[in-house]
Amino acid sequence: MNGIKAHKDPKLPPPIEVAEGPEWVEALALLDRDVAETLLAAARTLYPHDGLPERVYRRVILHFDRMAAHSPAAAQSFAEFVDRVDAAMPLPFRELSESYRVAVLKRLEASTSFRLVQRSTVRFLYDDVEVWQAFGYEGASVHLGGYVNRGFSDLNWLPEPPAGI
Amino acid sequence: MTQYELDDAGVVVIIGSGAGGGTLAHELTRRGVDVVLLEAGKHLTAEDFVNDEWGGYEMLSWLDKRTASGDWRVARDHPVTPSWSCQVVGGTTTHWSGCCYRLIADEMRARTVYGDISGASLIDWPLTLDELEPYYDLAEAKMGVTRTNGLPGLPANNNFKVMYAGATALGLNASTGRQAINPIPYDGRPATIQDGFTVTGDKVGSRWSTLNVEIPRALATGKLELRQRSRAVFIEHDAAGKASGVVYVDAAGTRHRQKARAVVLAGNCVESSRLLLHSASGLFPHGLANGHGTVGRYYLRHIIQTVWSVFDKLVNMHRGEIMTGMVDDFVRHDPARGFAGGYYVELNSMGLPTTAAFLDPGWWGRDFAGVIEQYAHMAGMLLSGEDMPQAGNRITLTDELDAFGVPVANIHYDEHPNDLKMRSHGYKTMTAIHQAAGAKRSIEAPAYPASHNLGSNRMSARAEDGVLDGNGRAHEVPNLFIADGSAFATGGACNPTLTIVALSIRQADFIAGQMAAGAL
Repeated sequence: MNGIKAHKDPKLPPPIEVAEGPEWVEALALLDRDVAETLLAAARTLYPHDGLPERVYRRVILHFDRMAAHSPAAAQSFAEFVDRVDAAMPLPFRELSESYRVAVLKRLEASTSFRLVQRSTVRFLYDDVEVWQAFGYEGASVHLGGYVNRGFSDLNWLPEPPAGI
Repeated sequence: MTQYELDDAGVVVIIGSGAGGGTLAHELTRRGVDVVLLEAGKHLTAEDFVNDEWGGYEMLSWLDKRTASGDWRVARDHPVTPSWSCQVVGGTTTHWSGCCYRLIADEMRARTVYGDISGASLIDWPLTLDELEPYYDLAEAKMGVTRTNGLPGLPANNNFKVMYAGATALGLNASTGRQAINPIPYDGRPATIQDGFTVTGDKVGSRWSTLNVEIPRALATGKLELRQRSRAVFIEHDAAGKASGVVYVDAAGTRHRQKARAVVLAGNCVESSRLLLHSASGLFPHGLANGHGTVGRYYLRHIIQTVWSVFDKLVNMHRGEIMTGMVDDFVRHDPARGFAGGYYVELNSMGLPTTAAFLDPGWWGRDFAGVIEQYAHMAGMLLSGEDMPQAGNRITLTDELDAFGVPVANIHYDEHPNDLKMRSHGYKTMTAIHQAAGAKRSIEAPAYPASHNLGSNRMSARAEDGVLDGNGRAHEVPNLFIADGSAFATGGACNPTLTIVALSIRQADFIAGQMAAGAL
């Protein structure tokens, strides 16, 4: 534990609920199970944080599902991405070991569908309050009085700058 | 609120309520001028804002599609959002970080001081620093800029301690700088609580914005009508070639025509050039005030780049005001450095969501993961430097129409060799500062979508070199003005807001004076 507590702005909705077991895919509105599991393997390969639980990556895919439900173009891109990563090797993408998954993704880097998956993973993974907590980002602060009395100037391993500098 | 009739041809119509338009609205109304202020975005309050990077971005940003071309990396990283401004009452002053530095005299005489640089289209400003300085004084007073008007500087935060240690070890001059953010209560606004979220709207109100200072005071004069969610789509002129009104679309999608005594564009660089180019007529076949083909040209976006470094120990850069630090050793033009113009190194922090998104868009894999996991150990800095005006760097109209029937803008930008030399010099400087403070790894991050959008309707002494005279008035249309960064003759190095505000106060003096003299 890093001793901090991460906060989302209280005006924002709470994180998406996600089941701990394989039944998590039942929450999908549009994406089918295989597509979702393959996108999950891609997200985990793109941004591999071994210490993060599976559920934070599942929440990313549930955001993808919302994007797909909202935008036919996004749905098409996700489907195309999954087709391409699955066709790249003699095994389906999610059965490949990490080095092969990385090799497949590297070959697709220039494609529009890769870009959507990669950028959207960054967008949602690092916006997850559980990830904030893990990496030490405390987030929303005004409802707690800001950081003026909560460590905005508590770094003590370098010399203190002169007052009024 | 006062209301004016659509056919009231006595009003000054201002398009855009940010640093330029919002300030001008206040400065004109307090001089007794009737003003209609059209703002494309909504009138939000502190209650509406959120402490959330993506939530704030989506709430405040101008997200209408733009396209990008040229060799700048932004065209690759952010192809449909190459520039970044806000669509909300208060404009981009709802988002800015408050840095307030003045242009220096050499920067306003760039062509004379830097010389004839191949491929660049430098000019001197048609006004001098001496002429602008009284207005800088007024701007600093109204904005409550730290280290002016008896205000102290903002205190050192964690990120600044890193910058200070490194800069001092290298013999550089670091301070917490000057911001329009209250260190103590000032002008009815509270002191900062170091919340770190000025960029998503500033719920506390310790930072100056036109939303929380200029517009309420303009409304209190009884001379301002603010029309929110009103998108200007065309500027009309009369048979004599004077601006006569603005066509706009309201929230319900209804088109209106507001007559005007004078029209001021203050929609942030890209939108102001786009609107002029689109407002073509028989008299102005290439766009309003564009007889010399200069509207949209010489677009500048500053040399902006960041360095993020990882340290052994905790930094917690997200705590506190985000840009309270600067190194000013490289501001002055010094040919010995091998490039023209100068730059500021400024403190910069981001939360985890945007650090991950902007560290190096497109970067993935175990190396990235290993860096971002150390977020709490990261410190950051930003460079703001002068880029070279080039005729080919320009805003143009594409064949694609937006929802209002106005062509989508394209922004073309190729880097000048001088830009690249400054970028390289600046990355070395910033990395050296962090290394001197003990960084174990430093990452050179590319430019964000451009937020210092400048120069595309520039002031010039000669009509053929630009669009505007030294009062921000179109050379070709005597009652058409610009009050945003597009008016800058050159970019200088510093963050542009303070200069936009100073120019707007000066412009208000000019417009009110011309009206009083019966000349406008």
